[in-house]
Amino acid sequence: MDLQRKLEILADSAKYDASCASSGSDRGGRGAGAAHISGVCHSWTADGRCVSLLKVLMTNECVYDCAYCVNRRSNDVPRASLTPDEIASLAFEFYKRNYIEGLFLSSGIAGSPDRTMELLLEAVRKLRREFRFNGYVHLKVIPGADRTLIDQAGLWADRVSVNIELPTDKSLRLLAPGKTKETVLGPMDRLAGRIAAYRDERRSIKSAPAYAPAGQSTQLIIGATPETDLEIMKLSEALYGKMRLKRVYYSAFVPVSRDSRLPALAEPPLLREHRLYQADWLLRFYGFTADELLDEKHPELDLAFDPKTVWALNNLERFPLEVNTADYEALLRVPGIGVTSARRILRARRAGTLKLDDLKKLGVVMKRAVYFVTAAGKYAGIKKESGEAIKVKLLEHKNPNGQLDLFGRLELAKEGLAATVTGQL
Amino acid sequence: MRRYLHDGSFTGFLTALALALERGGADCAIAPQRAAGGASEPELFAEYISAGSDPGRAAAMRELFERRGSAGSWRHARYAFLSENPGSGTALLAYARLLLEKGPAADDMLADGRVRRVHALSAAVGGEAHMFKGFVRFTELADGALYSRIEPEHNILPLITGHFRARLGGFNWVIHDARRTSAALYFKGRLVIAPLEKARLEEDAGEALVRELWKHFFRTAAIKERENPQLQRRNVPLKYRKNLTEFG
Repeated sequence: MDLQRKLEILADSAKYDASCASSGSDRGGRGAGAAHISGVCHSWTADGRCVSLLKVLMTNECVYDCAYCVNRRSNDVPRASLTPDEIASLAFEFYKRNYIEGLFLSSGIAGSPDRTMELLLEAVRKLRREFRFNGYVHLKVIPGADRTLIDQAGLWADRVSVNIELPTDKSLRLLAPGKTKETVLGPMDRLAGRIAAYRDERRSIKSAPAYAPAGQSTQLIIGATPETDLEIMKLSEALYGKMRLKRVYYSAFVPVSRDSRLPALAEPPLLREHRLYQADWLLRFYGFTADELLDEKHPELDLAFDPKTVWALNNLERFPLEVNTADYEALLRVPGIGVTSARRILRARRAGTLKLDDLKKLGVVMKRAVYFVTAAGKYAGIKKESGEAIKVKLLEHKNPNGQLDLFGRLELAKEGLAATVTGQL
Repeated sequence: MRRYLHDGSFTGFLTALALALERGGADCAIAPQRAAGGASEPELFAEYISAGSDPGRAAAMRELFERRGSAGSWRHARYAFLSENPGSGTALLAYARLLLEKGPAADDMLADGRVRRVHALSAAVGGEAHMFKGFVRFTELADGALYSRIEPEHNILPLITGHFRARLGGFNWVIHDARRTSAALYFKGRLVIAPLEKARLEEDAGEALVRELWKHFFRTAAIKERENPQLQRRNVPLKYRKNLTEFG
């Protein structure tokens, strides 16, 4: 099989992993390449997703038979493998031409987890040592591999990850025979410990080696199993808190194999995925907790409205907020105000009192914010503050014809897709 | 109306800016010579003044932005100039006057038209420079050097050379801005930006294969069930695709 065909098969098998970040690392040193602290996208594929890394599997052969996975043992797909030499040289040739920012390397489990992990490490070691590559590497850790092998991952890679894929142990047992919560969370916990220990060391000794300087991430598949958004957000919250993860990725389930245990979906739940990313952003950058966004009575995110708007409508007694005096944390909770515009408001009001007209110039999305703010005492929202009335107004913006019909939902889905990459609200 | 004309260089522009501030007049403008003497008719009642290029005056202008402005003012001025927007000279004149009046606080006046105009130009240039850190595509030549052709909207070449120097310090490379017929040439660790009309290129023998591999990879990486050409177009505007290997 020629290299082109192999690459095709192994890129095809890797593409369902949503992770694309190349940021958060800054490798010094000689040789070719450097990582960019804020990340760089090099292109965007026809589905609108950013390409920054050569994302491939080392092999798509696998001993597991996870129902959701395109590479499951029982799936009739062409199989291929790349050698560590082929991977390293391909990554280097692509990098040199500035096609990519680095390598994302994962693998099916061929033979034993140990052997697979060894080969993955060898590929990255070659890239670093023989090609003297200082660019970005994201390396998957193989659940079930020996501790000493898992420990090495962070020495060579900028980012390490183990995918949880299914949010609960029950779902894992159902769809991923051979995997349990422990086999996934064990290595993740181990890596979190390493990362923290090395970071401490570097605080006192500058020249101490870096260990996965861009941290750890994971992925959850959305819609293959019956978990609620509340369960998912609680899990993410715990992963960011206890495991100190940098990112949790959500991947709308694309039916890639037929299995009676899987739901029959007409299309991947992209709008739901988008709402989860928005909620995730609220946890990481906006100071929200999962409990503020969802509860047992309302365990699913509203598809018609973004989660911050829903929260604001449920907490109308906190609004309207005076933009000239509100603190940063309070501004961040206003629908239509993001991190950038909140910072701009703080800066601009040092130079003078802000009027309603000024807010749009600062980047505030007034069609949403207008119901929730005053500027110099002036309010331009609707007089009778009722959540329902505001909802109707907000929907008019999205769908001038009134009702949110099936078509309206379709439009929303598109809007959702457009924003997925950044997760901006 | 007075129009101060500059030669297109940054020193020339700063000289024109200095003259406009010194001799002033409420309705004066700054423009590149090329635009004034080119296709458009000179305006009947305008007075044209060629500013020339005076390093002393230019240095004084830099000092003005650095001393009177905030930490970002000098960068905003450089970036806005690189935008090559026809109104950027006059916008920077208004901005400089505001800095003289208000000091560093001027950059906080984010709702003020004079500040917004310059900040917006600067952000457009900074944004495009960041995009081109990703959009530059090199071809390996027979002698091992790497060649890239770009056609950015703004003159971002000077802003991305540092990035590629850090990244490809061990190679010889050329980034050719075909729109401005200028190129960054990095040879044996030395970097120059020089005029370059056309480059004669001889590709390395292995180049076609790597290019094909990349195109295949790029096509394969898209998930059919999620196809979204609008989103792709928003992220990779059509005007940039001409020089992107994967769209060729």
